[in-house]
Amino acid sequence: MLDAGLCRYVLISYGHNAFSSASLFTMLMDFAGDDAVFGHFGATGGYALAARRAMHEFNTGPQTWKHIAVAQRAWANLNPHAMMHGKPMSFGDYLSSKYVVEPLRLPDNCLVNDGGRAVIITTLERARDLRHRPAVILGLGQHNPSVQVTQSGTLTGSTGARKACETALSMAGVTRDDVDACQIYDCFTYTVELTLQDYGFFGPGEGESWFSEGTIGPGGRMPVNTSGGQLSEAYYMGLTPLSEATMQIMGRCKDRQLGPATQTKEPSIILVSDNGGILQAHSCCVLGRI
Amino acid sequence: MAYNKPLPRVNGDNQEFWEGCRNHELKFQQCASCGHIRFPASLVCPKCLCSDFQSIVSTGTGKVYTYAVYHVAFHQGFLEDLPYVVAVVELQEGPRLLTNIVGCSPEEVSCEMPVTVAWENVTPDISLPMFKPLI
Repeated sequence: MLDAGLCRYVLISYGHNAFSSASLFTMLMDFAGDDAVFGHFGATGGYALAARRAMHEFNTGPQTWKHIAVAQRAWANLNPHAMMHGKPMSFGDYLSSKYVVEPLRLPDNCLVNDGGRAVIITTLERARDLRHRPAVILGLGQHNPSVQVTQSGTLTGSTGARKACETALSMAGVTRDDVDACQIYDCFTYTVELTLQDYGFFGPGEGESWFSEGTIGPGGRMPVNTSGGQLSEAYYMGLTPLSEATMQIMGRCKDRQLGPATQTKEPSIILVSDNGGILQAHSCCVLGRI
Repeated sequence: MAYNKPLPRVNGDNQEFWEGCRNHELKFQQCASCGHIRFPASLVCPKCLCSDFQSIVSTGTGKVYTYAVYHVAFHQGFLEDLPYVVAVVELQEGPRLLTNIVGCSPEEVSCEMPVTVAWENVTPDISLPMFKPLI
């Protein structure tokens, strides 16, 4: 539409009073359909089924996921807008927290909150004349296996993430080694592990050791979900990771800004993911700087 | 006391399945062309798109593909059951069902555990296929 000159600016926005209304709960209850007959509701249950199968097939579980939850909480503590700002979390806090649907504990779940987020897209030519340095969309990829959780053979990977990422990197003309940071759709900790695994950052079961070196937190070599993400900043569906990647490339993240402020690499390339259903849809975006 | 949990919404697509359940039979469609046994019911075979099928009755045995233990009740009807186990059971014939594992504690459930159907008659018209450990 932008290229064809049909419009000049496109606003992508998300807003929801999910916390102060019943609408999210109602949507998830409808989503359950006849699964409700067996007491199976919402997204946590579906991801718990996927996560449990993964624990059977390769080395994963709370000892892997604690690194994701704790690192993202550390990022949130550098972000005054984050719901969990000022609420630090240790490995001990994580491991002693209550199960919601086992094997997923409360801090494995994304937040429910009110709020909104938006990004504006325009042509690169126009963007060059704007006040802020833009983030550039270098590549996009989508893959949607789409099979419902009970019949799915890909709950433990590879999900649509693998092909979506390959497509996006190839369009951008970069490789995984060029990626400086990731903003991963993190409805649950397990989603972060599986997405990074399908993206090829580590093999099945190698996540625990990959994460354990402080890899994704402040000061880490591959920062992930630097706003705190959906787990610790706020849930705005795909706009949480997309807006954070945009802000990081633009250099507008203050205390949590990638680069010298957080002893991390200044980002030229950020990988962004979005995910739908119970690992049924995936899109990947490569953002870069000019 | 009246049954206070959600009931299946019986419609043209799933009617044969739930009528089978009322008679304590797990009935599935088997493709007349390629032999694939499918669930949920559909107009054509998802493997070969053939529309002819015959009904088969499952032995009711299978194994736990995966499971989750609910520690929170999202519906009042399940409050007394906490903690309870929701599982995906893969039947010997191939189809996978979302169900509950009963007859053992949540700690005893594991992936690949052999199970057999345990019928739960919840109303005069509806019996639910739950599963218990196969001893």
